[in-house]
Amino acid sequence: MTERDFHISAPKQVPAGDLRLFVRNKGPVNHELILIRLRGRRLPLRSDGLTVNEEALKRSTVAILEAGEPGSARELRVHVAPGRYELLCNMQGHYLGGMRAVLVAR
Amino acid sequence: MRTTPAFRPFAARSRRTIAAILLTFALFSTVSVVLSIRTTSRSQNRATVVEIAARQRTLAERYIDDVLLARAGAQADPALTAELLSSSARVLLDGGTAPAVPGDDDETRLSAATGPVIRHQLEQERRLVSDLTATGSALLAHRPVAAVHLTAHEHVAITDPVLRLRTLAALTSNVSLNAARTIAIRSDRNIHDLVTLQVALGIAGLLASLLLGWALVAATRRQTAHFRSLVTSSTDLVLVFRDGGCRYASQSVTSILGHRDTDMLGNDFAQFVHPDDEPSVRAACAHGDPHEIVFRMSNKFDEWRHLEAHVTDLRNDRRIRGVVLNTRDVTERVELEEELTRQAFHDSLTGLANRALFRDRLDQALARSARSDEAVSVLLVDLDGFKQVNDTLGHDAGDQLLQQVAERFEHAIRPGDTVARFGGDEFALLLEGATEPAAVVVADRLLTSLSEPVSIAGRDLALGASIGVVLHPGGTDKGEESEDLIRHADVAMYAAKEAGRGRYELFRYDMARELGELLGLEHELRLGLQRKEFSVHYQPAIDLSSEAIVGVEALLRWHSPARGDIPPGQFIPIAEATGLIQPLGEFVLREACAQTARWARDGLLPEPFVTWVNLSGKQVSAGGIAKLVRSSLEAAELPPNLLGLEVTETAIVVEGFAGERARAELEELHADGVRIAIDDFGTGFSSLGHLRRFPVDVIKVDQSFVQGVEHNAKDAAITANLASLAHALGLHAVAEGIESEGQLASVRELGCDVGQGFLFARPAAAAKISQVLAERAGRVATESYRASA
Repeated sequence: MTERDFHISAPKQVPAGDLRLFVRNKGPVNHELILIRLRGRRLPLRSDGLTVNEEALKRSTVAILEAGEPGSARELRVHVAPGRYELLCNMQGHYLGGMRAVLVAR
Repeated sequence: MRTTPAFRPFAARSRRTIAAILLTFALFSTVSVVLSIRTTSRSQNRATVVEIAARQRTLAERYIDDVLLARAGAQADPALTAELLSSSARVLLDGGTAPAVPGDDDETRLSAATGPVIRHQLEQERRLVSDLTATGSALLAHRPVAAVHLTAHEHVAITDPVLRLRTLAALTSNVSLNAARTIAIRSDRNIHDLVTLQVALGIAGLLASLLLGWALVAATRRQTAHFRSLVTSSTDLVLVFRDGGCRYASQSVTSILGHRDTDMLGNDFAQFVHPDDEPSVRAACAHGDPHEIVFRMSNKFDEWRHLEAHVTDLRNDRRIRGVVLNTRDVTERVELEEELTRQAFHDSLTGLANRALFRDRLDQALARSARSDEAVSVLLVDLDGFKQVNDTLGHDAGDQLLQQVAERFEHAIRPGDTVARFGGDEFALLLEGATEPAAVVVADRLLTSLSEPVSIAGRDLALGASIGVVLHPGGTDKGEESEDLIRHADVAMYAAKEAGRGRYELFRYDMARELGELLGLEHELRLGLQRKEFSVHYQPAIDLSSEAIVGVEALLRWHSPARGDIPPGQFIPIAEATGLIQPLGEFVLREACAQTARWARDGLLPEPFVTWVNLSGKQVSAGGIAKLVRSSLEAAELPPNLLGLEVTETAIVVEGFAGERARAELEELHADGVRIAIDDFGTGFSSLGHLRRFPVDVIKVDQSFVQGVEHNAKDAAITANLASLAHALGLHAVAEGIESEGQLASVRELGCDVGQGFLFARPAAAAKISQVLAERAGRVATESYRASA
């Protein structure tokens, strides 16, 4: 999967179970990657109205890949149960700027 | 073409190595400093960039406030903020002057961003600023915000204009911070790289320096080893002195002196130095002066070796801090010099002092005498009859005799006195502190020591000596030089000889006059020979029965313009002693042959006739007499039977090679027809055996017998015996020196065949003899004419 300014390209569906996610940052700035299981329609935001409230979503957070430099390529191993998930970069403005993608594990 | 020098001094190599070390340090330091400066400069620039990038975040937030305030109608200038944001974003990317923010920063100069990542981030930031300000402008102008074309991203799906603006501001702020952080990290990395590089440079420089230093140490070691081996393998002994003690001795001390080098160290050195030389050695070792010393040191066999040292004061040289002695063993040279000196001052035959040393000692004795008032005596000794020993027994026997005489003389004196040999058979003695009685005692002792026979070549020889004694009274300096004393002793010695030999004479000043004449004669003799002052006179020999002239004796005459006629008895001994007898003898022989040949050609010679020429013993024993006589005969074209040679008894009885040769030559001449006569017969040692074996025609009875023949029965008996002896051997007897009728009658009665003497004729010049011969020939012719008539 690929991160850009400000967009995440990822498959829409994956098989449930153990996943190896290969993450490439092709944008000019740093990006992180957070995998959160969706319980409702939308993720709650912090009071700034710009970033996702990670603290409130702790239980739903499946994995966090800390900020990677431009050009970096990393691997993220996760176990996903069947369900809906959202991949996002929660750096300031990035989420609202478009860096989010829905992933469905079956 | 330049050639590589065969030897490169180590010092030059060391200098090059040290220069290389310094250069390496300089190079590494320069690189390090340049890198530091560059990195620091970049870091400063980056810090400013980080500051400006961070400021963009604040400006982005302020811009939203300004837009919202302006939109609400409040006092705000979003355009200014937008301008600040845009120009700052441009300057961050491309360099230039970042604008001042009112109430905050001043203008700041930045250089263009470098590195692709940073540039991408800053480009993205500029695009975001552009999107932000465009969206802000649209919001202020109440235009639809979604219609604003975004350059930085394409997925912003927010429709709420304010949220859209805030999101863009948040992205701008985030990207600015991201760029600032990237720059800061880069700066940190650069500094880290610099530190790493400097550490690497430091290590490399250290290694290079260590390598060069090692090379330097190795070269220095080689150099030290080189010089050490030079010093240790040198045959010279190198000694270093500090604070009065020996601090270093090279190993060559073992080969030179047999000691170990450690034996020399400290004050032990002094124990080997000769006590007499110690002060000069100590001075040299302490002060480096004198620069050259020769001193003696004992070797392990306790023999003294002579060492010559070149002294160098290196006390101010911090590498040495001492006085260096470069020392050579010069024992052989010194001993050779001493031997040469000994030879120069000693007589090689007897080992006694020679004339030079004697003079030197006499000079010193005279100087001491002037101070001490003590007398000094000089004795000059000449052996009597030594020439005869030399002539009869040969030079080897003569040499042996001189050696034995020298030994006896040495026993006859006190240890402090000096005996010298002046050459030939002349000895000199120096007696210090000897008064006249003491000197006389020594002279007597010398004569006594010689009276005991000396055994040479199987013969016992008793010798006499003539001794001249001279006394210097001492005390007041009479101005007498050593040469004066020797000359005076010489005069006294001559006086002793004159007085009859075998005695001593004390010098008196009136002796000197006589001696002056004697010495002057030799000089005049040489001059006379050059000036042709010599001539030959002839004394006729008369047949005692017929009174006819049967020959002449050629006699040498010397007429000196200064002295007049000088009798042969005065100058012949001098001529013999000086060797002048050879040219004089040759002169007489050639002259006599030429004259006789002239008489023969003129028809003046009666039959028989012989011209007798005297040969001295020296002429005969020197060899070559046969050649000389033959060449004289040939030159004059004279038949040999007209020439007779008179030789003395001693000349034909000489033993050894010279005697054999002389006899052989005379025999050859006799075989040619030359007549031989024994001169002064009866006065020498000749035995009948010699006379029988030797080809003699005539014996001449010495005039001392002839002159006594008239009144002395002994002389008459001897003359009679000699005549009858001659007749028994088939020889003629000639009586010399007949001066009276009585003598004539006696010799005629005693049986002599031929006579010579003043009674008949005095020796006369050739012209006078020619006249006499012509008269006699005329008379004979007249008588013959009368007889035939």
